[in-house]
Amino acid sequence: MNSITEELVLTAIRNLNLARRPEDQLQVSPSAPVFGPGSPLDSMGLVSLIIDIEELLFEKGYQVTLSDERAVSQKRSPFRDVPAMVTYINTLMAEHAS
Amino acid sequence: MHRRILITGASEGLGLELAKHYLECGDYVAGCSRSAVAIEHSNYSHYSLDVSNDDAVQEMFNALRRQGWSLDALINNAGVAGMNPVALMPPLAARRILETNFLGTFHFIRHAIRLLRRSKAGRIVNLTTVAVPLHLEGEAVYAASKAAVESLTKIVAREVGSFGITCNALGPGPARTRLTRNVPAEKIEALLSRQAIPRWTEFADVLNVVDFFLRPESSMVTGQVIYLGGVSA
Repeated sequence: MNSITEELVLTAIRNLNLARRPEDQLQVSPSAPVFGPGSPLDSMGLVSLIIDIEELLFEKGYQVTLSDERAVSQKRSPFRDVPAMVTYINTLMAEHAS
Repeated sequence: MHRRILITGASEGLGLELAKHYLECGDYVAGCSRSAVAIEHSNYSHYSLDVSNDDAVQEMFNALRRQGWSLDALINNAGVAGMNPVALMPPLAARRILETNFLGTFHFIRHAIRLLRRSKAGRIVNLTTVAVPLHLEGEAVYAASKAAVESLTKIVAREVGSFGITCNALGPGPARTRLTRNVPAEKIEALLSRQAIPRWTEFADVLNVVDFFLRPESSMVTGQVIYLGGVSA
């Protein structure tokens, strides 16, 4: 599950980069920061990325909302880097499946 | 190019007229209302739901997605009114007005942004009212719910600008719809007398502004509230 979700997140980042200036490109790697220190992504860019990931999940049959109450209330943002996003998405997908 | 337009409150009044109009234009229309479908047309799909129920709204968008829908325009028309001085307004009625007018609009915008991003000219049009700038006695909760819609409009405009989506609001004066059916004639006359053009709002007046917001050429028009009849904020 981890590698599939990771590839999905990286695909969404690659898609997002297509619409970003060369100097604002996000790192595409399994340990890359996403939102916060070390990343050029602003809050509206994060919105775009989250929506892209939700759409990719929907196409795979998972109807999950990444921006739920838990995401905004967590002490450490689940959107801070790729590993945190992957873990968070896997949790949501497991809940969706159960 | 035929557009895909979602209209809330599409079973009567302005929403029904808008739906019929865009179907006549060859567009595809998805409508919703609490009541049953009022339109039979091959390009029309209807969803019976309460706009204040986010789960139901989510299900409507899931169904549209499954049908491969993108979205070119969302027209948030569904609304309820309640004329009562604040001292006599039942709290449950106040809650109902806020949930339908404000939360309903919020729910649809939230879900629609995802589909509007796929459009070259995504448009959101929210219905407000001249009761907001006129501060009419007896309409405190209704006007407050629409004032919230106006704030939402202006902030959403900023949040979705980078997606090429505009978000505007239209505030008609009194129109001959369900919302004004039980308003006493002297109240309507008093309201009309405060307009620069003191007549009832007709469907064509509404359509004119909605069409303006929807035009691809209106891509620089966003975060605006247009009142009909010469009422100013």
